[in-house]
Amino acid sequence: LTSTVSGAGIAVAPIDFTDRTLPNGLRVLLVEDHRVPSVAINVGYRVGGKDDPPGRSGFAHLFEHLMFKGTKNTRPETIDRLTEDIGGLNNAFTADDITNYYEVVPSNYLETLLWAEADRLGSLAVIEEHFQTERDVVIGEYDQRILAEPYGMLDELVNRESFVTHPYKRGVIGDPENLRAATLADVVAFHRTFYRPDNAVLVVVGDFDPVQANVWIDKYFGRVPQPAVPIPRVEAVEPPQTAERTFTYRAANVPLPAVEYAYHIPAWRHPDAPALDIVETLLGMGKSSRLYQSLVYRQRVATAAHASADLREHPGLFSLRAIASTATPIERVREALDAEIARLRDELPAADEMERVRTQIASSFVRSRQTYNNIAVALVRSAVERDDPGALNSDLDRYRAVTGADVQRVARQYLTVENRTTIEYLPL
Amino acid sequence: VTQPIATLEKPPSPGAPNRADLPNPVERTLANGMRVIAFPQRSAPKAYAVPLIAAQLIVRGGASAESEAEAGLATLMTSLLTQGTATKSAVEIAQAVDGLGARLDAASGYDASIVSLTALTHVFAQAFALFDEVIRQPSFPPDEVERVRAKAIGDLALSYSSPSALARYVAQRVAFAAAPYGHPVSGTAETLATLDRELVVAFHARYFRPDNATLIVGGDCAPDEAFALAERQFGGWRAPATPLLVPAAHTAPGSQSRVVIVDKPDAGRTAIVVGRVGIARRAATYPAGVVATAVLSGYSGRLNQEVRVKRGLSYGAGAQLIARREPGMFLASTLVDHTKVEEAVAVVLESLRGLAAAPPEAAELVTRKATISGGFSRSIETIDGIAGVLGELALYDVPLTELGNYLPEIEAVDPAMVQRFAAAMCEDLFVVLVGDASIFGAAIAREYPNVTTIPLAQLDLGRPDAIKEP
Repeated sequence: LTSTVSGAGIAVAPIDFTDRTLPNGLRVLLVEDHRVPSVAINVGYRVGGKDDPPGRSGFAHLFEHLMFKGTKNTRPETIDRLTEDIGGLNNAFTADDITNYYEVVPSNYLETLLWAEADRLGSLAVIEEHFQTERDVVIGEYDQRILAEPYGMLDELVNRESFVTHPYKRGVIGDPENLRAATLADVVAFHRTFYRPDNAVLVVVGDFDPVQANVWIDKYFGRVPQPAVPIPRVEAVEPPQTAERTFTYRAANVPLPAVEYAYHIPAWRHPDAPALDIVETLLGMGKSSRLYQSLVYRQRVATAAHASADLREHPGLFSLRAIASTATPIERVREALDAEIARLRDELPAADEMERVRTQIASSFVRSRQTYNNIAVALVRSAVERDDPGALNSDLDRYRAVTGADVQRVARQYLTVENRTTIEYLPL
Repeated sequence: VTQPIATLEKPPSPGAPNRADLPNPVERTLANGMRVIAFPQRSAPKAYAVPLIAAQLIVRGGASAESEAEAGLATLMTSLLTQGTATKSAVEIAQAVDGLGARLDAASGYDASIVSLTALTHVFAQAFALFDEVIRQPSFPPDEVERVRAKAIGDLALSYSSPSALARYVAQRVAFAAAPYGHPVSGTAETLATLDRELVVAFHARYFRPDNATLIVGGDCAPDEAFALAERQFGGWRAPATPLLVPAAHTAPGSQSRVVIVDKPDAGRTAIVVGRVGIARRAATYPAGVVATAVLSGYSGRLNQEVRVKRGLSYGAGAQLIARREPGMFLASTLVDHTKVEEAVAVVLESLRGLAAAPPEAAELVTRKATISGGFSRSIETIDGIAGVLGELALYDVPLTELGNYLPEIEAVDPAMVQRFAAAMCEDLFVVLVGDASIFGAAIAREYPNVTTIPLAQLDLGRPDAIKEP
């Protein structure tokens, strides 16, 4: 090991990556590792739910589907055949700021998959037939994940009610009405706008020779032209919230009443991000967490309680969600949540609790560094969502530097009533 | 969008496959009879190492050691290991595990009960002490026994509602009848209702002893340190004076060609399982079996091609080779509309017999073997993944060198070996159908001899013939 980064008494080797940008603007990050004869390939595009055109909510997500439907050179599902048939896997996800595509394949198929990823960047077949079928699939996914899942709609509501100006308010999965109103011309325009090499990051992790890999990357990705027009970026800035906003929603598939508190927090690259991650862990990770201990185990007012620091490219949300236990009024659940927030503001966390939380966060960090694809996804997200892939190598140090006083400070600064959107989500 | 064919590009072809950098496992036996296997961090110059250590304790004594009347006992016992010890309640154990950022799990299969742990290097010794405590000093609190047992009974109802899951359970009874692999690992509502704390304590005492256990420790820990850690933690574990009950070798009853239909009128579709008793993990034909199964499985495997791609009879079809300490099952399965059962059974049988009749093309084997090496590579990316593979080898009495030899053995399988294996597996196949028999029952009875139909209300997985006592 040449150097190490450390946190909570542990030392972790940094992820050793190369970083270069092709003449057409594609950023390429490579990590060579020969533990197992496979490679993970990720292509992340800087386009997510927030970049959907107004009135066209769900386009980024729709593209995640269209990218599997074939190109000028290949039939639909080619990527599936090129991966699953050789013992590999592939998938993709769309988030607020990124659409990421990935494959894990035996390392001797690296060139094949680099070709296939460059091919779908350069020559995707955006045609009426695929548009129609995938639009139906995306609307079906909305029905399944938002309408049919208990509390599925609550996720949408949190974004919709917390943001006034910023397009984060529209969520990712898409609006069925918007999607139905879309035309093929809209879709082609969206593709031309965002699927271009200077809007993408390619990451390869695993068993390959970087010299050879770079030759292939230049050959297949290098020939995709860079359009002259600039890429539109979201410039909207969410104005500071000055008073609590409260909403009550009722829906059919709500097994038990729930309450969600969503607080505005800064972007992922902000210096307070590690402290917010620590607060998330302290409140919500595992059975030793404060919310579980207090609301679920001791007071038994909730069947489940979660905390989430949803750090994004632009300022995101810190949210707390509790689902009431049977026959507990929602006011009682809110009192218990309020008490936990007050405790964060009023008391310094004990040293042993801070140590436990750092160990928990370091453990999940280290576990997630074991597989090639996890390393690749972490790099691509860090590159796109905080414009700094190398920040991964100092995350553990930043977690270790968070003190009990920092926890108290960020709680006082962000977890305030004025900065909060409250949603009570109740059965009909 | 449409372009002349001549401009179309084809994907580049693959290069030669590379080999994995596998750690070299080493082993020792402690004075108390416990087998200890250690493996170090990987050694390749470019191999990202994480400060994580994994441990696994494998005890020979799982569901195959239960009597028919005690079906579900091993699983009930292992589910309870983390639910209370001499010094800690269930919640205190969960908190201690969280506090160390560790993962601690326990489960039983047919041949073994396994407790597994991963933790960061700097807290591993503490986590290892906790691992020891749940292994050696579980207290099996009566209220936890009741809670876990009630939950297990509730979970059964859910798994019986799936025709595919039910068909697997029935297939085990058809293949093994009263032999130890015949009853369900999860037990039945009737057997679980008769289990109590006393049985749980006795089962634990009978099999959890050092001379019946294999401990695996590896990852960010040199083998010498692992052995020292094992000695310090488990060296004082004394085997009881009572002789060790070694699970007896057992054989399945002879396979016979028959059809068993479970009439489940409310099933959405019919689950089809075609199979027979297969091979043991240590059998010389195992690599050929893995390759033959891969030829039949996956999206581009023969079963899915015939059943789904060519005929649209189902969303998917595949084969599975379940190789255990003693011969397990070889099976092919799919899920089809009730009106397509007759056709789908014929297509599945034809696909299996097709492989038995003629060796596969060499080119077909290249991609099917790639699916095996790809899957294996992913399974050993993590430290606990390696511990899992080594644990299986130890349990099945396969030399640990198999970790490195596995892929070369797969590569060495030729088309004739695949054909021979398929031919052996095509003798005396049984067919299990779980679905609405009013739609397909008569046609199946016309087509095949030796058909038994069991109405769902008469099904009892607690009995060797799966039929309730009259």
